[in-house]
Amino acid sequence: MSFAAPLFAWVGGGLALGVVALHLLAWRRPPASPLPTARFAPDAPVRTVSRAMRPVDLGLLAVRVLVIVLVSTALAGPRFASRVQGLGRVIVVDRSHGPEAWAPIDRVARSVFRSGDALVVVDSTVHKVRNPTVDSIVATSPTTESGGISAALVVGIRAANELQRVRDSVEIVVVSPFGSDALDAATASIRRMWPGTVRTMRAGTPPNDTARARPPDIRAGSGDPVSAALALAGAAPRGAVRVVRDSTTAADTAWARNGGAVVVWPTSAAQRGWNVRATADTAFGVTVTSLGSGSSASPALSATVVAPFVRRLAPPPGRVVARWDDGEPAATEISLGAGCMRSVAVRVSAAGDLALTPAFRRFAEQIARPCVGSRGWAAATDSVVSAVLPATGARGAAQTFSAVDTTRSHSPIAVWLLGAAMVAALAELLVRRGAANATA
Amino acid sequence: MRERRTARETERHQRVDDETSRPESRSALLDAVRGVKWPALRPVAGALPGAHHSRLRGAAPELSEYRVYRQGDDPKRIDWRLLARSDRAYIRLAEDRSTVSTVLIVDATASMAYPEGSLGKWRAACDVAIGLAAVAHTSRDPVGLVVVNGDGMRQMPPRTRRGIVGEIARALDDVAPRGSRSLAPAMGGIRSRVRVAIVSDFLGDADHVRRRAGEVAAAGGEVHAIHIVADEELDPPARSILAVDPEDASLMRPLVADSRAAYLERFAAWRTELSASWRAEGLSYTLARVSEPASRVVRRVAGAALGTGRAVAPDVRREIR
Repeated sequence: MSFAAPLFAWVGGGLALGVVALHLLAWRRPPASPLPTARFAPDAPVRTVSRAMRPVDLGLLAVRVLVIVLVSTALAGPRFASRVQGLGRVIVVDRSHGPEAWAPIDRVARSVFRSGDALVVVDSTVHKVRNPTVDSIVATSPTTESGGISAALVVGIRAANELQRVRDSVEIVVVSPFGSDALDAATASIRRMWPGTVRTMRAGTPPNDTARARPPDIRAGSGDPVSAALALAGAAPRGAVRVVRDSTTAADTAWARNGGAVVVWPTSAAQRGWNVRATADTAFGVTVTSLGSGSSASPALSATVVAPFVRRLAPPPGRVVARWDDGEPAATEISLGAGCMRSVAVRVSAAGDLALTPAFRRFAEQIARPCVGSRGWAAATDSVVSAVLPATGARGAAQTFSAVDTTRSHSPIAVWLLGAAMVAALAELLVRRGAANATA
Repeated sequence: MRERRTARETERHQRVDDETSRPESRSALLDAVRGVKWPALRPVAGALPGAHHSRLRGAAPELSEYRVYRQGDDPKRIDWRLLARSDRAYIRLAEDRSTVSTVLIVDATASMAYPEGSLGKWRAACDVAIGLAAVAHTSRDPVGLVVVNGDGMRQMPPRTRRGIVGEIARALDDVAPRGSRSLAPAMGGIRSRVRVAIVSDFLGDADHVRRRAGEVAAAGGEVHAIHIVADEELDPPARSILAVDPEDASLMRPLVADSRAAYLERFAAWRTELSASWRAEGLSYTLARVSEPASRVVRRVAGAALGTGRAVAPDVRREIR
């Protein structure tokens, strides 16, 4: 048996010795003796303190020492489990990136997993596998449900705390392609909660950090302001979005049916199927509201541009994804096969620098997102992953246990010891009352 | 002859005074108090001839004064020789001497049964009572006894017959000190002009007894208080004890080193107050320690009549005057 906080055991021992010493001071009644002039003695309590060679009130002493020993032992945190030497690991397997990414994930996870490790599986939910084996990884089937590394870390840290009771040291191994949508603002904070090691193992080819961002798939003429805004906003998901600034073609429609998002953002009013407004007017703001992949890791964002826009077109009927400041639809979306066709009636003048403002860049970025319900994703770069999930914790791997011991859950025996101490305390009350009645 | 006898008496008194706390037997006690006089504090009004000055003037052999004969006087008391010389009729007047009834009230409550083994207070009270009875009986005074304990009162009316001292001693020996009872009712049946000696520790109803004694004194009587105190009460044992009042078991006080000084101070203050209150009433008060020989206590009680604290023979008293 070992103690998590031996200091409490030492303090308890000292208190017990103090109680024994106090019981050597007998608080007893002196022997009665007749004295006719007793009335002249001061009226004082009939019991006085005297020293004794042997402890008095042995029953009361035993109960009091028992209370102190039980409480101090409970606070000291006794541990009876034998510790297994060596490193324990919590394997976090991210299977939320579809069948295409599953093969390298499975291969890496099986190479890392050893008997005795904990296994946490991530898809749309996160759960810990009971009694995991290598076959548990094989039995895990990939899914396109979007998951998140943050939730997986929470479950992984909990599993690591449990594993620490029987292991000298524990590390968390995250096996994932590390899609950018799986990392969010909370990931780094949750990582800091675990002071030990978190090892990241990428399944698949990492993106090239040094390569220039691929420009979005835009079909437009030279000097197009929307192209400039999308180029400044960053790389669009590869193979997910196509922005068409001229007339759509049959190829665009077919591409959309295969799961792509075709953003029709005409430069002029001469578009087939679009409604021309009876009178052109001016709106002074437009807001994109409900675009996005819809996953928990990448929620839909809104973006608003405040500027004068000349309205000559109205988008075709469909789900409204952007509105003018007066509530009229500014952009709509219709589903087309596995993809969607998005129509944007926001005319951007080539003159001026509206397209270069941060507000319009965010607007263009939101408009150029994949269709709602599609599962396109891009892998985060190694620099992003290492920044969000550093390998060592704040206190270093060597101090993992001393740091984690303070946050671990207490052994159930401590609760039982405290309960027994309460019972003993009640017994002490009864024994003390009986002793007082006997000496009164 | 007189000088030789006085020297012998003085020597005997000196021997008695030199006695320490050795317990003295009854015979030694009676020997020690033989010749001790216990005069009344004031002239008595008794009719029987005795040893105490009487308030009456009569035809005793000892001439006191002459007074002119008045009509109604007994012609037998006319001094004929003086009539022959002065041609005037005078009658002889002389101081009468009378007896005074003495009642001994002895406290036999449980507080007198202390210390437990030797019953020193009770034995001292008995010895003092017997000594006073012997002294009074020597003066041909009637002597009576009232013993009060928890069982009740035992009374012996004053008698002058021979052997009364022995009867009193036997009566006291038959009584065991126990229980609790007030001494004041014992003074209820006492008629006026009686000498009362109360032998007690006064740990009961001291105030009540003192008030009753004052009433007796106001009626022409004479009251002596002999306060019996044990040495263990004056100097209790140093070890810590739980002092229990023998007459009230519910009264328990710890007597430890811390409270010892307070006990001694309060007990001394009470004794001083008791003595002052008795003397303020014009009563006699004598403190008697158990270790003190009873004969010495008897002498001090008898000497209270003269204000000297020592009883002396009549001839010596005359010299003092």
